[in-house]
Amino acid sequence: MSDLLVELGRNAAARRLVSALGLPLPLPVALRRGRGPLPSQPLADQSVVVGAGAEAPLLAMLASALTGAGADPLLEGCSPAAFLGPGEAHGRPARAASTLPEARRVDALVFDASGLSGSDALGALHGFFQPWVGRVARSGRVLVLGRPSDEPGLSGEAAAAQSALDGFVKSLAKELGRHGVTANLLRVESGAEERAGAVVRWLLTNRSAFVSGQPVRVSLGAEGEPAPLVVKPLEKRVALVTGAAQGIGAATARALAAEGARVLCVDRPQEEAAASALAKELGGAVALADLSDPASVALVASAAEALGGVDVVVHNAGVTRDRTMARMKREHWDAVLAVNLRAVLALDEALDPQLRDGGRVVCLSSIAGISGNVGQTAYAASKSALIGWVRARARVLGARGVTVNAVAPGFIETRMTAAVPVAIREAGRRLSALGQGGLPEDVAQAIAFLASPGAQGVTGQTLRVCGGAFLGA
Amino acid sequence: MSRQDGRRAVVVTGARTPFVKAFGDFTTMDTIALGVAASRGAMAKAGLGVRDIDSVVWGGVILPGGSPNVGREIALDLGLDPRAEAMTVTRACASGLQAITLAAAAIERGEADVVLCGGSDSTSNAEIKLPQKVVHALAPLALGKPTRSDYLAVLSQLWPITDLLPRQPKIAERSTGEVMGEAAERMARRNEVGRAEQDAFALRSHQRAAAAIAGGVFDDEVVEVTTPEGKTVRADGLVRGDTSLEKLGKLRAAFAKDGTLTAGNSSALTDGGAAVVLMSEAKARSLGLKPKAALRSWAYVGVDPADQLLMGPALAMPLALERAGLSLGDIDLVDLHEAFAAQVLSILKMLASDAFAKARLGRESAVGAVLDERLNVYGGSLALGHPFGATGARMVTTMANELARTGKKTALLGICAAGGLGAAAVLERVE
Repeated sequence: MSDLLVELGRNAAARRLVSALGLPLPLPVALRRGRGPLPSQPLADQSVVVGAGAEAPLLAMLASALTGAGADPLLEGCSPAAFLGPGEAHGRPARAASTLPEARRVDALVFDASGLSGSDALGALHGFFQPWVGRVARSGRVLVLGRPSDEPGLSGEAAAAQSALDGFVKSLAKELGRHGVTANLLRVESGAEERAGAVVRWLLTNRSAFVSGQPVRVSLGAEGEPAPLVVKPLEKRVALVTGAAQGIGAATARALAAEGARVLCVDRPQEEAAASALAKELGGAVALADLSDPASVALVASAAEALGGVDVVVHNAGVTRDRTMARMKREHWDAVLAVNLRAVLALDEALDPQLRDGGRVVCLSSIAGISGNVGQTAYAASKSALIGWVRARARVLGARGVTVNAVAPGFIETRMTAAVPVAIREAGRRLSALGQGGLPEDVAQAIAFLASPGAQGVTGQTLRVCGGAFLGA
Repeated sequence: MSRQDGRRAVVVTGARTPFVKAFGDFTTMDTIALGVAASRGAMAKAGLGVRDIDSVVWGGVILPGGSPNVGREIALDLGLDPRAEAMTVTRACASGLQAITLAAAAIERGEADVVLCGGSDSTSNAEIKLPQKVVHALAPLALGKPTRSDYLAVLSQLWPITDLLPRQPKIAERSTGEVMGEAAERMARRNEVGRAEQDAFALRSHQRAAAAIAGGVFDDEVVEVTTPEGKTVRADGLVRGDTSLEKLGKLRAAFAKDGTLTAGNSSALTDGGAAVVLMSEAKARSLGLKPKAALRSWAYVGVDPADQLLMGPALAMPLALERAGLSLGDIDLVDLHEAFAAQVLSILKMLASDAFAKARLGRESAVGAVLDERLNVYGGSLALGHPFGATGARMVTTMANELARTGKKTALLGICAAGGLGAAAVLERVE
């Protein structure tokens, strides 16, 4: 489904015309996206301006994450000490941001706000961002690092300052979205610093193009040592994707296969042709099962067993039966809950013996589950149920090193949204910071990241892939 | 550790042609002719006849399309016993060293007792290739009996005409499209190696090479070559003992507008060949030959070409040291191939860096700082030139001669190569 405004926006002449005529037409920026496996140096030669408050406990982590990913750090008002070793090791010496020529744009701004406490200290945010926000390149990145505001031992002042980061980042996301720039907040629990590097890296790559205005928490919730960052980390691992034949499921299967996984594509018997073709393309396997049928769960579990167990489970299969509550029949309600919720719970239970330690579970929630939607009582209930499910499940499986998360897509250009009436479709696209819909690949990339060993610190959470949608914020 | 049972591979002798700037005196000599000249010299120094060689292992980068097994052509042109088998290997600029370590492995395994090994390259004879589009379009004419319509079809495929022009051969990375000098330029920037440092290192290389030539150090390894035109070439052609920082400083940046790499601090396109005679120690002794050095260890590594293309030796040299059971402090001589002054200086920084050792080598502390008096004692490729395949054999020859001559014990060699490859070897003196 092509988006006329994005296409128009690709054309420099059209952009100039729209601006010269003063048309109130926000031309969204064509986002820079990446394909294939994440390279060993995903930030190669990117210029990243780094700033920090007076206390900056995350600078050492940042220094090795950025230089290891190939970025060139430019320091703005923070001490170079933490950058000396990593810069030398990777040939990415940190330079003062002031050495950058006036006209040069930068690829990302990263600010360590984790040491900020009280209202005066928040001035550091203004001090760093005000001169630099205008110099971020299109499809650039803004990343703020903080501590969870509910962290034990945090003073009231510190909790207030850390909580302030939410509103700050979300507003910045909305302000910069028209340039295709994303802004996100990474909250790193004390003690989990070592796990944050891989998350920083991913949030700065072109793989997180449609993730904006989101807080991500790095915790020690799941046991395990931080894995070295390698190319194709899912090699020799098995990933199970339900609803894999079409749309987001197919994109997810492809993204996981690109990272090296052997993918077990699960879909309904009606989808056999598409599911088989995809499995053949990816060198994976197929299991045909209608998840609305409780008996199908055992079938999927035995298919997983036949592959020797699974490392990644993606619950993507879902259905809609949109009707207002007043008109919704019980069978519609049951149909939605059966696939979107009951099957997920039952499948997780059935797959439990097959899920290897250090594994990954990702559920597909939806922003409808966060904000609600007219006519989607059943759908939204099932999708917000999954948010609670992953939170609880993460606690249960953490000791085995398994992470459990949800991804909540916003407006994604799929067959499903192409069928939506044009006015609603346009509203869905434009009512977001980035002013456009996402692609199935955007959701798939987020899932592939959560499925990677580097995401060990992210568990029990719901990551929105919504382009900074105005709904349900 | 090298073996002590008589099958230890030892360097008996080595020889090379003078190294000459491309399109100079050796223009009409291809890589085979250069290899023959070097090999003839090495065999003569060891007093070997055509029936004494078991095997030829040759390294080259620009291999002739019609006869890519250069080693076999050299064997035939030398008139070796036809039973002497031969192969050709390519590992970019580490090809010459690769040929020698393969020969050493064959000797230690008992496949051969006497191996002629080394490498050569003639950049003057790089083949200009037709674009692949032309090759594919012409295929129907080359295979089978073309009809008139085949000719017409070919003509229609060959439009537009600009696609037909042969391309200038250039050594660009296939994966990144980056030419070597651009990669070295990036290394200079990333490791903060400035123009002045690079020029100073280039000057040092020229001065040391010129002093070595004046002192007769290379007399033992360089053999004179008579060209098909009848000219006798006796000396290396690229060394400029009279260059200066002022002269080097005036050269324009070669690979980037505001760059720091110039023709003066980069190695030049060169024609030349170098050969080494490798034997099992027992065989050498039985022939009454005094080995000059033994190959104690070697190592090859790969890095992501998109990272630092020419950093390989910073990883390979520590690995070769580890395999030799030695540390840098035990090493008397270090010979580091000088593709670019920027690359040498970057690698030296990496070897001396604790942070690099921790992040890239998994070691607690740095490999160590290479002492100036031990490094490239007779200059290197910046001054002498770099006929790709020959460089490894030149370095082995010079270091083996130096160990034999001075009584020093160990030498560490390092070579960077296209594709993000690195090579290293440890030579030890044979008593």
